[in-house]
Amino acid sequence: MYGWIWRHLPGPLAVRVLTAAVLVLGVVALLMFVVFPWAEPMLPFNDVAVEPE
Amino acid sequence: MSRYEEPETREIPIPDFSRRPAGPPRRPRQQQPPQRPPRRPDSNHRQPPPTRPPAPPAKSEGGGSAGRTIVRTFGEVLITLGVVVLLFVVYELYVTNWMSGKLQDQASADLDAEWANERELHAEPLDGKAFARIYIPSFGADWNFTVQQGVDSETLEIGPGHYKTTAMPGEPGNMGVAGHRVGKGAPFNDLDLLNSCDAIVIETADSFYVYRVLPMADEAAGWAEGKGRDPKCANVAPLRDRDGAYAETVGRVIVTPGRGDAVAPVPYQPADVLPKASQAALLTLTTCHPRFSDRERMIIHSVLTNQLKKQPGAGYDDLLAEIGEA
Repeated sequence: MYGWIWRHLPGPLAVRVLTAAVLVLGVVALLMFVVFPWAEPMLPFNDVAVEPE
Repeated sequence: MSRYEEPETREIPIPDFSRRPAGPPRRPRQQQPPQRPPRRPDSNHRQPPPTRPPAPPAKSEGGGSAGRTIVRTFGEVLITLGVVVLLFVVYELYVTNWMSGKLQDQASADLDAEWANERELHAEPLDGKAFARIYIPSFGADWNFTVQQGVDSETLEIGPGHYKTTAMPGEPGNMGVAGHRVGKGAPFNDLDLLNSCDAIVIETADSFYVYRVLPMADEAAGWAEGKGRDPKCANVAPLRDRDGAYAETVGRVIVTPGRGDAVAPVPYQPADVLPKASQAALLTLTTCHPRFSDRERMIIHSVLTNQLKKQPGAGYDDLLAEIGEA
């Protein structure tokens, strides 16, 4: 998977390293700002209020 | 090694080097191996310098490549999922704190601005808007958060939230406040460290309300002779002495999430058990318990001990000196 991506990145080595870093950062940002905030309410450790049954 | 072989070694590097610059570097890996074997038979002994390891990959491409690819991809996916889970932990423990910190700063600035400008204040706080500030001196003199109206998840991201149907600061009855214990600024992270008689201060537009944590379940017996003699504990006494309805209202209680009556006017009792006039003025903090879980809730009950009108120019520091917490 990663090998395939690496082989398909264009340009010389330096450009490919840079592109790969940008890709990684993009995925991390997507997780942090979109995926995790969406998934978090469904996980069982953030309810702090008491609710009547 | 022996001198017989020397002539051979000289011949080989020359064609090899001359060939290299011709092709683009690295790319033609798959093409190189087929070209090399014809050269090799002459030079069995001196392989290492001219030929590079790429020879084995050529074999792997040939046989069983599909199986290898599947196994490798599967492994990569598993590693990736592991990294994602670690990133989620980082998100939960650090990134949400950072996001909530910004929201809290904004809410705090808005609240100061609202209090500074002397126009008529909203009688009813607006949902999701800060209307008070909470201080816990034993968590440090600079520990404070704005208290927002409502306990939905968006509001709790800003800071502690006030259960809408519960009493307002200073009122008889029970003011309920919920807050996160992990992430999202974790305002109530250390709630388990509160001891009886520790102060919890609520600041509103015009007053400071000083609540103190009620005696713990194991301290209630012999309170007057024991901890009750501490000057900090003036006006703090087990509530059950006041009325039997308060029998279960002690400093710290762990309950299941369904116990909405923890923030009832008289905790754990039906709403109409006592007339409003004879209800104690309580402040109840709720958070999750154990930490990192929502299996239970930790409840801290405190009772109003004094209330001070804000004097112009006097702030929280002066209040701390006055109540002996400075």
